[in-house]
Amino acid sequence: MLFIANQLNKIIFSGVKILKGGKGYTLPGFIILKLFPNILKGFDKKYPKGIILISGTNGKTTTSKLITDILRSNKIKVVNNSTGSNLLRGIVTSLLLDLNLLGFPKSQVAVIEVDEFVLPTLLNFITPKALVLLNLSRDQLDRFGETDTILAKWVKALQDLSSKTTLVLDSTQEISIPLSKEFKGDTKFFNDFKHSKLTVTEFFNVKNINAALKVVSLFKLTLNDCLNVVNNFEYAYGRGEVITFADKKFTLYLAKNPASLNNNIESLSTTNTMDTILFILNDNIPDGRDVSWIYDVDPSNLKAACKKKNIYVSGTRCFDMATRLHYAGVTLEKNNINPDIPTVLNLITKNENISSVGVLPNYSSMLSFRKITLGRNIL
Amino acid sequence: MKLNIAYFYQEKLDLYGDTGNIEVLKYRAEQRGIKTNIINIGLDTKIKSSTLKGVDIVFMGGGPDSGQKDIYQDLVKNKGEYLKDYIANDGVGLFICGSYQLLGKYYKAADHSILEGLNIFNMYTEHYGTQVSRCIGNVVAELSGALTEDIYFKNNNYIGNIIVGFENHGGRTFLEETTVPFATVLKGYGNNAEDGYEGILHKNSIGTYFHGPILSKNPHLADFLIAKSLGIEKLIKLDDYIITAAHNNALKIKQ
Repeated sequence: MLFIANQLNKIIFSGVKILKGGKGYTLPGFIILKLFPNILKGFDKKYPKGIILISGTNGKTTTSKLITDILRSNKIKVVNNSTGSNLLRGIVTSLLLDLNLLGFPKSQVAVIEVDEFVLPTLLNFITPKALVLLNLSRDQLDRFGETDTILAKWVKALQDLSSKTTLVLDSTQEISIPLSKEFKGDTKFFNDFKHSKLTVTEFFNVKNINAALKVVSLFKLTLNDCLNVVNNFEYAYGRGEVITFADKKFTLYLAKNPASLNNNIESLSTTNTMDTILFILNDNIPDGRDVSWIYDVDPSNLKAACKKKNIYVSGTRCFDMATRLHYAGVTLEKNNINPDIPTVLNLITKNENISSVGVLPNYSSMLSFRKITLGRNIL
Repeated sequence: MKLNIAYFYQEKLDLYGDTGNIEVLKYRAEQRGIKTNIINIGLDTKIKSSTLKGVDIVFMGGGPDSGQKDIYQDLVKNKGEYLKDYIANDGVGLFICGSYQLLGKYYKAADHSILEGLNIFNMYTEHYGTQVSRCIGNVVAELSGALTEDIYFKNNNYIGNIIVGFENHGGRTFLEETTVPFATVLKGYGNNAEDGYEGILHKNSIGTYFHGPILSKNPHLADFLIAKSLGIEKLIKLDDYIITAAHNNALKIKQ
């Protein structure tokens, strides 16, 4: 035990050192996993109030942040991986940084969002107090494969999962049927019912809130204990985040796969507060190289959202996005399409008719956009 | 004039934005004042000669394994004869990925089990198992002469004989002798990552692994299908500035 604690000590130290060197959250975990592939085994027992895991194609960052904020506002110490990555290496870094010199966690509970693909591996090492499985939809087929493949892996992982875990599932999702069937412990279901005390408008955020409420109920917290946090919630970066740049208001809606683009387009077509939409489509490794998913978005919604607005398109695959909009019947100005984000941003800031822009970037283009407008990196 | 498109199994076979192909055909026909009529053929649809009379283009997309399993029996039992006749009688068709495979002689799975195809295309497909990596990436290919020499293609082609797209398939397809490939790969894997061929051109029907969706960045191919199926030698030229830019960009991107 002492030996392990000592080892951890050194690892944390080198991890922190590398972090301070500005290498981010990926590298320390990467190195540690190379040296100690089973490092996470038994980590759940270190946390007095357990570990909460959240996975699914869409909503995991928002749901994790909701749970974290609610618990913290109720005086529970929480560690999460919001600044790190949701792959195994990022999770390792976040958790190790939370340990003190004796190898004990500073927090009482860990709230961890997990990549869909990584989840089965993580469940081999730890038994979570609660496991939230939000949804599965098409996302980066070139990397993940078909959703059927991931679902089969999840089902298998649930068969082996201890009944000490509480499973939290979306009752409106088809995948919840096979998942709940295979699990021998307790399952709690949430839905898209909006409680009258909630002020949030987007239905997909209602679901994320309801999922978070199911989880915090395990800590004996009720809706009233959470209202303040939930109704004043600041969405995680890129999820409804507002950035003011050159006196113009930019609202970011991460649109990284058909489900998230459809959801955001639907919200945009029902609000008239924005005069401009900026689409940014990249095809870097974290985005997936395949952009054909943009055709899984309902063309009539796209057309409705773009109606009477200035439309700009950027990113490495801007012409693919522009073509998609063209076929949906959106009229585009040729000069408003450019792969270089600063160039397009310059066009927007120079345009005096623009005051509020809805930005729909995918993953890496969201990071670039934030870096340009805020002047710093988040990862 | 009307363009009638029979769209097979949309609810089961639409994994890589393949429905976008229908959107493209509809848009490009309607810009020329040609109305479009999409006839959805699902598992429940009974094929009668009257339902499909006057079909100009048959389209079938790619799907997940589960989707292909769901439609297999129905395709073989209830729809196969119609498709055989349609293609034999020079009907224009576009069959992507999984449906391209199903129109061949057979599909041999990694466990050596054999799934009989419709035997319309003279080709077969083998899956080497999950240890062999899938054919995934951007793909660029040159269309076969048999297609580019067709007057309906030639007259409506403004961007050359190259097509661009994205492929993602585990099965390797091999064409039998005397068949004509749809295209020859310049970048990417194509049918099997070995012989350089991509897809098949059989009479007026095309089988291909191209997603993207294929017609979105290949306006010459979309116009060929419309022109050929309706017998219009020269279609009105459209402003394809944006689409051509997307096509040209796709020529440059990495595999």
